[in-house]
Amino acid sequence: MAKLTIDGVEYEVKDGRTILQALDDLGLLMNGVDVPHYCWHPKLTIDGSCRLCQVEVEGFPKLQIGCNTPVKDGMVVHTKSERVKHAREGVMEFLLLNHPLDCPICDQAGECKLQDYAFEYGVKHARTEEPRRALKKNVDLGPTIKFDQERCILCRRCVRFCREVPKTGELAVFNRGDHSVIETVPGMQLDNPYSMNVADICPVGALTTKDFRFKIRVWFLEEAPGICTGCSNGCNVYLGVANNKVYRYVPRRNDSVNDTWICDVGRMTYEEIGAPDRLKLPAVRSDSGVLEAVPFAKAIDAAAARLRSLVERKGAGVLAAVASAHASNEDLLVLARFLDAYGIRHSGVTVRRGDSDDLLVKAEKAANAEGARTLGFEEAGPLAKQIAGGGIDGLIVLGHDLLDPAYLGGERTLAKLDTVIVLDTHVSALERVAHVILPVRHAAEKDATYVNHAGRVQRSWPVVEPSFEAYADGEVISRLGAALGLPGFDGKFDVREVSRSLGAAAAAFRGIDLESVGEQGIPLAGKG
Amino acid sequence: MVISDAAREKIRAEMAKYPKPEGALLAALHLVQKQTGHISGETAQEIADLFGIHPIRVMEVVTFYNMFYDEPQGRHHVHVCTNLPCSLRGARELLRGLEAHLGIEAGETTKDGRVTLAHEECLGACGYAPMLRVDETYHENLDLAAAKRILDELE
Ligand code: SF4
Ligand code: SF4
Ligand code: FES
Repeated sequence: MAKLTIDGVEYEVKDGRTILQALDDLGLLMNGVDVPHYCWHPKLTIDGSCRLCQVEVEGFPKLQIGCNTPVKDGMVVHTKSERVKHAREGVMEFLLLNHPLDCPICDQAGECKLQDYAFEYGVKHARTEEPRRALKKNVDLGPTIKFDQERCILCRRCVRFCREVPKTGELAVFNRGDHSVIETVPGMQLDNPYSMNVADICPVGALTTKDFRFKIRVWFLEEAPGICTGCSNGCNVYLGVANNKVYRYVPRRNDSVNDTWICDVGRMTYEEIGAPDRLKLPAVRSDSGVLEAVPFAKAIDAAAARLRSLVERKGAGVLAAVASAHASNEDLLVLARFLDAYGIRHSGVTVRRGDSDDLLVKAEKAANAEGARTLGFEEAGPLAKQIAGGGIDGLIVLGHDLLDPAYLGGERTLAKLDTVIVLDTHVSALERVAHVILPVRHAAEKDATYVNHAGRVQRSWPVVEPSFEAYADGEVISRLGAALGLPGFDGKFDVREVSRSLGAAAAAFRGIDLESVGEQGIPLAGKG
Repeated sequence: MVISDAAREKIRAEMAKYPKPEGALLAALHLVQKQTGHISGETAQEIADLFGIHPIRVMEVVTFYNMFYDEPQGRHHVHVCTNLPCSLRGARELLRGLEAHLGIEAGETTKDGRVTLAHEECLGACGYAPMLRVDETYHENLDLAAAKRILDELE
């Protein structure tokens, strides 16, 4: 440990860190101690090229760059002195020499570090009369990213990102001095599974994603914390919300989960929230065989009636439930209670699998497969065989991963069933065989906890309200339990209360609930 | 293959001299360019393969330095210094005169492929301004007539 004094306050910091790294470790960087910086990024190698992070270090005649000056025990640093302020003004003047006056038409405006620091440290008038560099304004770098060369301040963050994180290295600085430009080699595109992160780390409006650019001004967005549900990594994101609509995901830093990155596929899953194929209307299959939209309460009653009649004829032994790995711990706990109370013995969890890599992307394509296992749900493979073999007459199914080739490979085998009750967020082929359909909420529409692949419990918050009637799976099952008159079910679903009882259901959850999980999540007992 | 086996041998020998083999990239580029005249995308790929690096790293270096070319060049390079001392002594007029004489602009190559004309920021011969470099030879204390004579004598 080393003692480091910054602006008169003494801190203990780890050995071998630079001033900026030490400030970042302390959580103080731009959060109590302002050392503006462009090229330095906590998850990339040090570049030391922008010179904005200069600070005064006692004993050094000249200012030092904070990003690349190692802390020495007893070091005394000043970040607010006149000299430092003057240096920042000088650097800003250089950086702005060639910068176009694009802010009114630039998508970065409002979250642009050049704007922010120009506002704080910029000089009001340009001292040059020479024309600014005229470069390419609309370069198609690849399938996801547009590039404006004039706006680039050559911090090389994007170059280092491509080399160091996905290790694809598509970008480089070509030429020298004031001829320098970021480019790809001819015939090569910026195209990798993490490409859109370059738009997040670009401090200016040079790199923008084709998906988000010109959709909305960022100052209209509320950046609400949440998690990506695209795979079992559970990357932390900010959901950009305005007008009750999610416009984008951007990564939210969590050093235990995703550092400062998310994959491109996961980033685009925000589209699922407001997708046109959301399941919007509760429906019941009529005697003539067509699905008819009905009020929610009627659909619940219809589901209860079908189940009751089946159980009267054949007993609860012919019933099965398929849990979704998209469902939250709270939803699944209520489902487990329902299965107990109703005496349903056949159950399992479906998890769709896909590609994975050694960076973030995991094979299990849902947020809560690990939570389902922790709560005692077994892999639904054997159950799917049993269903296909005709051993089941009634099915309650959450989500539609049961249709995946790893399970049933389609809805056909379900057509024979006496009763199929579907709780889902999106339309699927299950509609063709369902007798009752009940719309449920997406993670971004509810308070809920999930367990990622490594056993970290994380949570979502309701950041948008569905424009149609939908409830959390847990609430729908609570109401179904009440309609069936099951013991312990009164139709109410208090997610906080359910969350608090997770620990009683599975010891790994002891001491963990919605409130304690917080924005950064906590590991299951024995997983930290 | 653009790079000869002999050149490859020499490059490997250079790589052995540096703590990181990449340190020999400049030496390799000089060697190869001597043979090929310029570093094309294909050549860059071959060099990158030799070093086990991404070809974009090679192109970064090629575009950074003035003495490496990513396009075919004339048989001779004529570089006129136009930095401050040379300019004060008439280098810009000299360059304009040579452009007119050759019928090309700085940065271009004559149609017969004889000369590529370019301007350069400081060749380190300020005491003998104005001056130009033909390939690896410096010609100093010039006027337009002398410079034209030098160019006319090039094969
Ligand atoms: S494009 Fe953006 S991230 Fe890349 S060097 Fe330029 S300013 Fe930096
Ligand atoms: S790695 Fe998984 S959790 Fe992370 S962004 Fe991609 S899909 Fe989402
Ligand atoms: S952040 Fe230190 S030089 Fe750029």
